Amino acid sequence: MKDRFGLGWRPELAAGILTHLDRIDIVEVIADDYFDAGRSKRRALKTLANQVPVALHGVTLGLASSIPVELNRLRQTARLVEEIQPEFWSEHLAFVRGGAIEIGHLAAPPRTAATIDGAARNLAAANAIVGALPLVENIATLIDPPGSTLSEADWTRDILAAANCELLLDLHNLYANSVNFGFDPYHFIDRIPQETIRAIHLAGGRWINAKASDERRLLDDHLHDVPQAVYDLLEYIGAKTSHPLTVILERDGRYPPIEVLLNQLDRARAALRRGRAKQQTKAVSEAA
Amino acid sequence: MSAEKFEAFLAKLYVDDHARSRFLVDPRREALKAGLTENDCAALEKIDFVGLEFAADSFARKRASSPPRKPVSNLTRWLRRR
Repeated sequence: MKDRFGLGWRPELAAGILTHLDRIDIVEVIADDYFDAGRSKRRALKTLANQVPVALHGVTLGLASSIPVELNRLRQTARLVEEIQPEFWSEHLAFVRGGAIEIGHLAAPPRTAATIDGAARNLAAANAIVGALPLVENIATLIDPPGSTLSEADWTRDILAAANCELLLDLHNLYANSVNFGFDPYHFIDRIPQETIRAIHLAGGRWINAKASDERRLLDDHLHDVPQAVYDLLEYIGAKTSHPLTVILERDGRYPPIEVLLNQLDRARAALRRGRAKQQTKAVSEAA
Repeated sequence: MSAEKFEAFLAKLYVDDHARSRFLVDPRREALKAGLTENDCAALEKIDFVGLEFAADSFARKRASSPPRKPVSNLTRWLRRR
């Protein structure tokens, strides 16, 4: 087994992906887009899964919450996983609803013991219904989650331990949170057991300015190229981990020519390779 | 239960402009009205106000660009699969 590099599957990128499968090892499909899909759309997804390894990525379960996950959504995920047989499935460490209100996107819950317990319960339910635990992904947030008593690193590590699950580490989410809230992203990586890191997301973003002050924050918008700081973090991961990783580049709009995205995958390959080489050099010098 | 109430309060704060405006005037009063605990009120008084506006704007844009999925009836689901 070796490191794999792939792209998020989007209709706008489909032709480019299908004509460059020699440079793409895996595609990541948004699971929720297929929950209520007709037979032909699901058949197309099965055909895709026969051509290239597929990972399913959920966006609406809201697993990191003291609020119980909706079982219907888990059953929909289970049906799709059964049908497609993905390499793995993943979801976010986020809450997406509260009371009767749908937030409409991924929100960072308070980082507390209560949401760790809630996440563990929800992940156990996911495991029971889907038949496999998802990889869980750290999210980007523009607000420091109110009511938090733990750092993001410790909260994430504690959920991984409580639920016995593995991490899809989104390096741009990590980078954005680190610049927005003033922590060291390398320290975050050091706090996470390296053997739990199974997959990586790469993306880009842009700075946004506050209306009433001169504050600005980095928005993870998936509309821009991957910044160098994210490749640097990937290189660091390469130096820390020895097991194979799956690296996915996410792009949700302002699509450049496919060659631009493939070049970013090549840069990711090179960064991870540099990290692996550093690890080998260190091992050799320690043995000598 | 308190944790669930707190998350529900945050969800409302993130999506409801009027609730957020009232909260910004008097965070403690709005938190107490929602039945939150003293600890919750204290946490909300220290909220990241700039981040709240950024987050609410961002969520609103997301909702506008991808409206929430409507529940699909079993009949519709069956017909789509034909």
